Amino acid sequence: MALPLPPGLTQNEVAFLAEMEMVTVVPRQRLDSIDLLGGKTPQLRPPHRAQLPLWLALLLKKQRRANIVPPAWMHPASLAEIIHRETKEDPEAFSPPPPPPSRALYSQPGTARRLNPSYLDDFTQTQQDSQQDPNSILSSPFLPSNVAESPAGYLPYHWLEVAEALLTHAGDDMPAPAGEVRSLLRDLVEVRAAKMRSSTSALEGFGDAYLTLRGVGAMELAENRAFLAGLVDGVRKIGASAEATRREEEEEARRGGDYGGDGDDDSDEDMGL
Amino acid sequence: MDIDDILREVDPVSYQIPQETRDLQDLTRAWVAERSTPELLPWPSNGLFERINDKIKRQIEKVEEMTGDMDPKTNFALIVIQTELERFKYLVRSFLRTRIAKIDKHLLHYISNDNLRTRMSQIEEAYARRHQLLLHNHYLNSFLGTFPPAMQNLNDTAGNISMIDSPDLDSAVFIRLLKDAEIECHGVDVDGVLTGKEGDIVILRWSDAKGLVEKGDAELV
Repeated sequence: MALPLPPGLTQNEVAFLAEMEMVTVVPRQRLDSIDLLGGKTPQLRPPHRAQLPLWLALLLKKQRRANIVPPAWMHPASLAEIIHRETKEDPEAFSPPPPPPSRALYSQPGTARRLNPSYLDDFTQTQQDSQQDPNSILSSPFLPSNVAESPAGYLPYHWLEVAEALLTHAGDDMPAPAGEVRSLLRDLVEVRAAKMRSSTSALEGFGDAYLTLRGVGAMELAENRAFLAGLVDGVRKIGASAEATRREEEEEARRGGDYGGDGDDDSDEDMGL
Repeated sequence: MDIDDILREVDPVSYQIPQETRDLQDLTRAWVAERSTPELLPWPSNGLFERINDKIKRQIEKVEEMTGDMDPKTNFALIVIQTELERFKYLVRSFLRTRIAKIDKHLLHYISNDNLRTRMSQIEEAYARRHQLLLHNHYLNSFLGTFPPAMQNLNDTAGNISMIDSPDLDSAVFIRLLKDAEIECHGVDVDGVLTGKEGDIVILRWSDAKGLVEKGDAELV
C-alpha cells in the first residue's frame, strides 16, 4: 500500500498538478455556482468570461458548454519571441519566468502592490495583512499564469502541460491554426531540452554546492529529475571520503589559525615594547 | 464590471480567500513537499487533515443524496462534484501513502527518536509501533531466536556504527525560492553561498534547504 516511487514527482503527478492551474473560459450556457471542496466555482453567465481550474475547463469544453481562451503567451508571436530569446539572446540559461503578479490598489490610487495571496482579484492590502497569514506566498499552480491576462513573452512553470492540454482539447480556440502553434511549441521543447542536456554535461566533476535552473518548466524538471538527482547524489557519495578529509583539514586550519593569531599578537606586543 | 467585483472593492472586510481554497493550496504544497524529500516531514498542524477528512465525508454524502434525485439540471453539477472529489481523494491518498512508505523504510529511526516521533500523527505512530513489533517477532521466530540473547536486539549501537538505518539527509532536492535569500550550501569540493532571487529553481542538499523550507522562504518542487 505504500508508495513505491522514489522521491520526486513523476510526469503523471506533474500533469495532475498542472490541471489545477486557472484558465479563462467563455461559457456558452448558464451554470450556477457549484460548491466544491476547493471553494465555490464562479457563476457562469455567457458571454462573460470566468476563471476556472483547467480540469473543469477541459470538462466543460468536452461537453461543448464553454470555450477556453488561450493565455497570451501561447500566441505565435509570443512563442516566436521566446524562441528568439532562448536561442540568440541567452543560449546558456533558460528564459526568465513570468514576473510575480501586481495589482493596482483600490485604497491608494496610483500605487501598485504585489498581489500576494490570490488569483481572485484585488482587495486592499491592509485587510490582506491583518486577516491572512502574511507568510503565505503563492506559487504555481496557484498563480494566475495561464489566464487570458497573463503577460506574454514569458513561459510559466506549467507551460508544456497546459499548452498540450489546450492544443489537444481546445485546438479550435487557438488564435492561430493549431498546427502552427504546435510546431512552434515543438521547436521550443527542442531548444530547452538541448539546454538541459548541455547543462548536465557541464555537471561532470560537479563539486559545487548548488546548481541554479532559473526558468525551467515543470515537465522538463520531471523528465530530468531522476538523472540530475542521481548525478548529484552519485558524485556526493563518490566524493564522501574526500569531502570528509577536506572538512577536517579546514577545521584544523581554523583551529591552527587561532593559535597562530595569538602567537602573532604576542610577538607584535613584544616588538612594540 | 461584475457585481461581485464591485462588492469586493466596496466591502473588503468580508472578502478574503475562502478557507477551502487555502486548504487546497496547503494540501497541494504538503503533498509536493512530502513526495520530494527523503525524510518524513512533520504532520501538517492547524488541523488541516481533520478539516479535509470532514469535508470529504460530507461531500460523499452530498453526492449520494444528489444521485438519488436524478434531474438533468443537477446531473452536470453531480459530475463536476464527483470529479473534484476524486481529485481530492487522490491527493490525500498519495500523501498518506508517501508518508507510510517513508515510515516503513526507517521504522526504528522514527520510533526511537522523540523529536521524530512527534512528526507522525497518532495513527501513523500506532501503525509504526505495531509494524515494528510484528517484524521483530517474525525475525525472532525465523532466525534471530537462534542467536545468543545478547545479539537479539535490533537497535544495537555498539561500535561506531548504529544498527538503525537513518534516511540520507544530504540527498539532492529541487527547491523554488519564494523570497530572495542567501543560502549556505555544502558541496563535495567547495562550500558556497548561493544568492538566490525569488523564482529561482535550485538543486541542493536537503540538509541545506531544510531551514528555508521550514521557514516558508522556499518550497519543494
